[in-house]
Amino acid sequence: MPALETAGLSKRYGERFAVDHVDISLPAGVVSGFVGPNGAGKTTTILMLLGLVRPTDGTGQVLGHPITDPAAYLPRVGALIEAPLFYPTLSGRRNLEVLTRLGRLDRARIAQVLEQVELADRANDLVRSYSLGMKQRLGIAAALLPEPDLVILDEPTNGLDPAGIREIRELLKGLTERGITVFVSSHLLAEIEAICQHLVMIDKGKIVFQGGIENLLAAQQSALIATPEHAKDVPALIALCEQAGKEASADGESVRVQSAADWAAELNRAAMAAGITLMGLQATRASLEEAFFSVTGALDARSL
Amino acid sequence: MLGAFSSEWVKLRRRSMLAWGLGGGLLFTVLATVFTIERATRFLTPGLHHGPRVTFAELEQPNGLVHGIVDISNLVGIVALCLFAGAVATEYSQGTLRNLLVRQPRRAQLLSGKFLALAAFILIAVALSIVVASALAFALAPGKGIDTSAWTSSTGISDFFAALFHVYLACVGYGLFGTALAVILRSPAVAIALGVAWVLPIEAIIVGAIWSGGDRWLPGQLLSALAHGGTSDASYSHALVVLLVYAALTAAGTLLLFARRDV
Repeated sequence: MPALETAGLSKRYGERFAVDHVDISLPAGVVSGFVGPNGAGKTTTILMLLGLVRPTDGTGQVLGHPITDPAAYLPRVGALIEAPLFYPTLSGRRNLEVLTRLGRLDRARIAQVLEQVELADRANDLVRSYSLGMKQRLGIAAALLPEPDLVILDEPTNGLDPAGIREIRELLKGLTERGITVFVSSHLLAEIEAICQHLVMIDKGKIVFQGGIENLLAAQQSALIATPEHAKDVPALIALCEQAGKEASADGESVRVQSAADWAAELNRAAMAAGITLMGLQATRASLEEAFFSVTGALDARSL
Repeated sequence: MLGAFSSEWVKLRRRSMLAWGLGGGLLFTVLATVFTIERATRFLTPGLHHGPRVTFAELEQPNGLVHGIVDISNLVGIVALCLFAGAVATEYSQGTLRNLLVRQPRRAQLLSGKFLALAAFILIAVALSIVVASALAFALAPGKGIDTSAWTSSTGISDFFAALFHVYLACVGYGLFGTALAVILRSPAVAIALGVAWVLPIEAIIVGAIWSGGDRWLPGQLLSALAHGGTSDASYSHALVVLLVYAALTAAGTLLLFARRDV
């Protein structure tokens, strides 16, 4: 059973669709990224899944229960929505106590989650004294309070330093090892690529891709980066590639060629024949960022 | 609902809430008691005294102990209105409502539990205020020459608890009004400003200049009558019945809006 799925889920404000008939199917037990530019509809989709915003159309299920009955599944869901918001004149511990009492949860969980996010030593300080990164960690702690089966995190690495980002990455991996499904929304594609196995991509309210990240990247064209010994040979090398029917462009003192890795040997021979010595030649895989722009750019071109 | 009630108490125990919630009512009732006793006079001579005064004879009645408190019950009610409106509207304005609704998606239970917690807090505030003000009255009255023996009679004790009950009930009514404004307007400042403006100048203007019968039907006027245990304009039973109808409609409308609105 998917951890969550939607069918034609929509939210319209006046004439504008913030979320436009999205169909999502999220496998259980994976870390799935939910990516899209700002204003794409990520947060609105999440709010509908959490029962906080009423859909205009369509249906959804979370952990086997309809999103019209959030009380049936939210006790098994943890969520961090947009910026972490707490009562500034309460301590971190007391803020978690508010939620624990409200959800009739075991209060021993407060100390456990504070340890998990490494906030135990600041737990008794007022939240208004916390940095953004500390508030972010407290938000993740709050999401983990109910020992959830599904964790939905909206921009969890926002405001964190590199060490903090790595900690969150490890934390999320640990969750899936325990069978917890994680749905991470972010516009930082590099982070999503590092953390997630599954991806849902949204742009202008519509789903543009969903599936394994490897499937998306494999569908993108790889590239060769050729670096001539002399920078003055870059234009000649570009012309050589274009004569062979390959798209090529300058990339600093190198040439980026849209080509499969197996053309590297042919390029090397052609360059040598043209009197160009290559001091570097490597095959690269498309990044998630490149894949995203490739997919959304193709959609934009089709709509013109 | 028990979870929502218990959860709200973690917030109510904050120093700021204790200061404003308990301190506000205490301040008004203490000041009212002090001024009432200090300005009491044996005889009222028309034109001689400035401002409202009571006579010794009025204060020496069984209900004399709570005379000053009941007179300023409107202000205590406004403290309650501000407390409820602020506590509810702040959840919207500072964005914490989403966190609460993820943990308790049954919205009616969340709002009801929160309301009951605030009502319990106000009960403590009103009781504390009346007890402290009464103790002060016992301390000050003999020095002024006021006979307090009727205050401790069975009628006096009954009047004391009746005043406590009436003022508390009125405060809950003000609190319900504040809660409704908070859910509608979702801003603490606007909800409080509108609520205070309505129960003070707006209703006074309506009764004074537009509709003289408003003192029997406008909610602020009826809450004041309720706190006084009934007035010449509106009897206690009339005020209670009409306010119960208003409360039922307000509560139903507020719960419906809270349940259906996007957060």
